[in-house]
Amino acid sequence: MLDHLSLLLLDAALIAVFFAFLWKSDGAARWRYFWKVFLALSLGAIAIGWLMYPFPRS
Amino acid sequence: MAAKGSPAKAPAAARLPLAVLMAAAWLVPGLGHLLLGRRQRAAVFAAVIATAFFVGLALDGELILPRAGDPLSYLAAIANLGSGVLFFVAKLAGLGDGVVTAASYEFGNTFLLTAGMMNLLLVLDTHDVAVGKKAW
Repeated sequence: MLDHLSLLLLDAALIAVFFAFLWKSDGAARWRYFWKVFLALSLGAIAIGWLMYPFPRS
Repeated sequence: MAAKGSPAKAPAAARLPLAVLMAAAWLVPGLGHLLLGRRQRAAVFAAVIATAFFVGLALDGELILPRAGDPLSYLAAIANLGSGVLFFVAKLAGLGDGVVTAASYEFGNTFLLTAGMMNLLLVLDTHDVAVGKKAW
């Protein structure tokens, strides 16, 4: 089984590919958009997880 | 001049009513774009959605159906049903029951919900391309 970070990165990559092809029509723009979405999802999830550390689990 | 990557013509889609085209797009991920002549995008969309769906199943995710007293399950069911034929085949094969105690259960759900919602967006995109709102 993949660890949680790998799964997060895989999901972010799939979503980024999807939206890059959905919203951009040429190759260069797709690459730029892919990286924007991928980094936003990955780093955003890590940042939100880090910010949630102070909150109790139950 | 046609946009880069746009098809010269879409003969199959030209003969199909819009509702049928959208239904095809929902049932089989990527089929709507394929019928519109967007072969590359159709292949990518089909691969992405199928990958997300099967990873979700492999991670013990659940294909959620509506449950009485659980309003969020209705939203999840709509998202899961968005996967079209993948949902029905998996259900018929006895897959997607979900293992709540599995460490990957929530991740599996996330992949399954993502796959369904991406396919629902494809249905809308198929509509936009078919009616000419989107040129490529």
